[in-house]
Amino acid sequence: MATTAVGAAFLLLLLLPFSISIPQPISDSHRSAASNLFNQISPSLEDAYEALRVFEILAIEKKPLDTADTCKKVLENLGSSSPLKDVFYALKVNGILKCNIDGTIFKDIASRLKATLHDASTLLDIYYSVGSLVLIKDQASDVDVLLTDANGIFHSIKALSQSDGRWRYSSDNPESSTYASGLALEGLSGVISLASSEIDQSKVSIVKNGIVKLFDSIEKYDDGAFYFDEKFVRGSEPQGSLSTTSSVVRGVNAFAAVTSGKINLPGDTILGLAKFFLSIGIPGDAKDFFNQVESLSFLDSNRISIPLILSLPETVYSLTKKGQFKVKVSTVFGSAAPPLTVKLVRAFSTGAKDSAIIDSKELQYNQESGFHFLDSFPKNVDVGTYVFVLEIVLHDSESENVYATGGQIHVPIYVIGVIKVGNAEIAVLDSDLGNVETHNTLDLSGNDIVSLSANHLQKLRLSFQLETPNGRVFKPHQAFLKLHHETKIEHIFLVGNTGKKFEIIFDFLGLVEKLFYLSGKYDIELTVGDAVMENSFSRLLGHVELDLPEAPEKAARPPLPPVDPYSRYGPNAEINHIFRAPEKRPPQKLSLVFLGLILLPFIGFLVGLLRLGVNLKNFPGSTVPATFATLFHLGLAAVLLLYVLFWLKLDLFTTLKTLGLLGVFTMFFGHRILSYLALTSTKLKSA
Amino acid sequence: MAKLIFVFLTLIPILCNSFTPEKTSDRRILVLLDDFAVKSSHSLFFKSLQSRGFDLDFKLADDPKIALQRYGQYLYDALVLFSPTIERFGGSIDAAAILDFVDSGHDLIVAADNNASDLIREIATECGVDFDEDTSAVVVDHSGYAVSATEGDHTLIASDDFIKSDVILGSKKIEAPVLFQGIGHSLNPSNSLVLKVLSASPTAFSANPKSKLTSPPSLLGSSISLVSVIQARNNARILISGSLSVFSNRFFNSGVQKAGSPTKHDKSGNEQFFTELSKWVLHERGHLKAVNVQHHKVGETNEPSIYRINDDLEYSVEIYEWSGKSWEPYVADDVQVQFYMMSPYVLKTLSNDKKGRFFTSFKVPDVYGVFQFKVEYDRLGYTSLSLSKQIPVRPFRHNEYERFIPAAYPYYGAAFSMMAGFFVFSAVHLYNK
Repeated sequence: MATTAVGAAFLLLLLLPFSISIPQPISDSHRSAASNLFNQISPSLEDAYEALRVFEILAIEKKPLDTADTCKKVLENLGSSSPLKDVFYALKVNGILKCNIDGTIFKDIASRLKATLHDASTLLDIYYSVGSLVLIKDQASDVDVLLTDANGIFHSIKALSQSDGRWRYSSDNPESSTYASGLALEGLSGVISLASSEIDQSKVSIVKNGIVKLFDSIEKYDDGAFYFDEKFVRGSEPQGSLSTTSSVVRGVNAFAAVTSGKINLPGDTILGLAKFFLSIGIPGDAKDFFNQVESLSFLDSNRISIPLILSLPETVYSLTKKGQFKVKVSTVFGSAAPPLTVKLVRAFSTGAKDSAIIDSKELQYNQESGFHFLDSFPKNVDVGTYVFVLEIVLHDSESENVYATGGQIHVPIYVIGVIKVGNAEIAVLDSDLGNVETHNTLDLSGNDIVSLSANHLQKLRLSFQLETPNGRVFKPHQAFLKLHHETKIEHIFLVGNTGKKFEIIFDFLGLVEKLFYLSGKYDIELTVGDAVMENSFSRLLGHVELDLPEAPEKAARPPLPPVDPYSRYGPNAEINHIFRAPEKRPPQKLSLVFLGLILLPFIGFLVGLLRLGVNLKNFPGSTVPATFATLFHLGLAAVLLLYVLFWLKLDLFTTLKTLGLLGVFTMFFGHRILSYLALTSTKLKSA
Repeated sequence: MAKLIFVFLTLIPILCNSFTPEKTSDRRILVLLDDFAVKSSHSLFFKSLQSRGFDLDFKLADDPKIALQRYGQYLYDALVLFSPTIERFGGSIDAAAILDFVDSGHDLIVAADNNASDLIREIATECGVDFDEDTSAVVVDHSGYAVSATEGDHTLIASDDFIKSDVILGSKKIEAPVLFQGIGHSLNPSNSLVLKVLSASPTAFSANPKSKLTSPPSLLGSSISLVSVIQARNNARILISGSLSVFSNRFFNSGVQKAGSPTKHDKSGNEQFFTELSKWVLHERGHLKAVNVQHHKVGETNEPSIYRINDDLEYSVEIYEWSGKSWEPYVADDVQVQFYMMSPYVLKTLSNDKKGRFFTSFKVPDVYGVFQFKVEYDRLGYTSLSLSKQIPVRPFRHNEYERFIPAAYPYYGAAFSMMAGFFVFSAVHLYNK
């Protein structure tokens, strides 16, 4: 839990750098934010009440919601069966809107509430019942709301309190809660105001002591803001520190309003609470907004002490513009403070706390603008950061009891100005003798650049002077010299000063390793900047062409330059496949010519046969051999045709199959005809 | 009773359904805070998330009851860590659990700040982002600060060096600079997934503004990243900011004037910048899906099981982008397909019909083997698409070669004239008298 508190403290410090030391009072930006935040139609009466209340406190004319509709809702919720919480908020809304509600309705509710109150055991039930009765008392004077058993109810609330000033939600829940304390105090104050007979004063003073004890558990930020933090309590919604603190403020305020005598709380605490609420700035949440504004309104009108807020429109002052140091003191809502004087107790530079530049000076008051101002800074104020210690002195000694001013207030002030830059020169020196090889004077306010060249035996010297407007040496926060190689490798050097002069000497012999033995062109860039320097600059002085020795093998390699994220993505170059080139072929005509030539021998053969006078007289004459001969030659022709078909369309398997059949066929008839021819020829020979 | 159990059992798969971009409603985000005050001080940012349909669950970071998963199912789709100072999370959450959450494809938004705890730094380091090790260092820019009457130390800087990517920052140009106050980080150069979205100006450096510099700062110039994003390989997205206040209402609403610039903007660029960036991080933009990969021979419609060399084929794929509500056709002219075997043989840019369909046609190379159609789409800010489909390519069959080659006609002519001669000769030889 401690970590949360510390974390929250850190966080708030981080969130609110503008307002840590100088919270701003509620202003018009709050009002416009409220108009924006509460413009949605509120679903519940609780939200409606919060919106109405914020608008009422901030004095915004416009109504956040439709009155007639809301009144209708109020009437619905004042029925006999609606839960206590709804009745409570309905009455609260009615308190602001003044809806037209019949007196009998109030009477019914009042009797119902009294009955509930009689057997109520949890804090919330008592809180809502008592709160509602108080509201009825204000809204309908003729209804009897007075409690006859006020002491008993007072006691039953008191019974839930713990020794440390906190309260429990109910008697069977042992955990105590700060948030509940606020509710309990509000309930108790309600009981006191409703009591038909006087409440025992001793009991009241015990509660007052309880409040003081409760404030012992208050937590504090470094900037003086006080707040209550809530531990996680079982059986209730977790409450942030804002709602917890505002609950306590509401409770204590209500209690202080109904009891006589003062509650013994220091003014600083009240101021711290105001600072806490203001440090939140403009909350983005309607509930937080309501809590903040309502609590501040209580703090602004409380009877213990009213916080006064000192705010500065600006904390950065320019010597060139001759700004006025201005301070405004107001209440948390920005309204005018009682007559007072703001005293500048002391002003010192953050570097030298002991030597004050201003001692005990009263600020003048401008009636029109409402600012307290210092007409001009004394002559000895130079650029730098200062702490101004301010104190609010009230004119009227009586009002010191009424207002909380918070004693001495420390404000950080930045005084900025133009720094004179001069005597800049850049030179290349010979190492051993220190002779100046090349020498250039630079005008750092101009844009001219120099080109130099050097080798590893030489040195490069850059010097310049910085002077404040008052003529003192100025040491900037940032004085960097950047050597930027072509390959995007950067080297940073701090430029130190000796006396008035800022000087940096590069002894390249000692730097070769750091420069990764990279020869080539280096850009020289000088950056000088400071928070109080108006003319911070960063400029290219020129280039130096370095000639460094070759890197030895063991030398460290330069780091890889960062990859450009844009180049990593993006489309690749298209790739087209290169197909194998087809083989070279002769032209078709040539092939056809050769085809003709090839056919010539066949034609010659036929012509030769005709010339020889061939005949087919030996063809068998009888039917059977003639059939054999015809079939044999048909077979042969079929085989040859098959070859042609093989070329034209058939594949090897079909061809071989058919050839097998045709072969058998042809062979059979071939054998027949050949044996017949052989027989006839032997017959002829033998004959 | 039995009926009840049955109803419950049938409901289980519905209840346990984890996030898919198809499911728009019920996108749950766990927001871990150091303090509930952040809920109201940063309400504009949260409201913009809620108005886009996200269901935010605010918890204190050290709440002992927080958990990211239950019974192995993640309860949330994204995690927002607005708790820069937390040293140890409550419940079962630790750095490893958060990294597991990201590893399973969920999104993460981390805001660090001055005093960022080691835990937050560790999570960032695991994501490839190294915050300045000097815990007192913040980003200071004496030349690019935001002009302010009450802020004199130049730690409130106005940065306008955005990443050039419409998908990450939206197509509308961010005119006003972004206010930043916090710590800087550098990106791990070996990590190629992390991107600098908002960089510091060249004059910025990371150091303690209160103390004098004794050595050059480790982070300097535009290598300082103020806000970075990471898109993991599983498309989980992470946003890391060096400042929590950049998300705050105060920064969202405040005006900004950069030092040295005459223009004063009424409103800083923070709201636009972070709203657009959160759209990207929560996958409302730049999330692509590819469906309906098809390829077939020219003139056919069915996908073949094998291609022959030198076939002409057509390839098409449909790509859609998630707009936060629906899948919109994706339009780009740089989607490429590769026909790949060990190395790409063909790489072609796909044309698109503006309705999400990307297509091209090409000839199968004359090399046979097992190829892949590959679409490797990896663009800045988009989820990467990696599609591959395997397809074998065969050579010609024996009967697919050319049959009538004119150059061979003389050879055929010789054979057939020989055959004809044989036929004539056989008749003449047998029957001549």
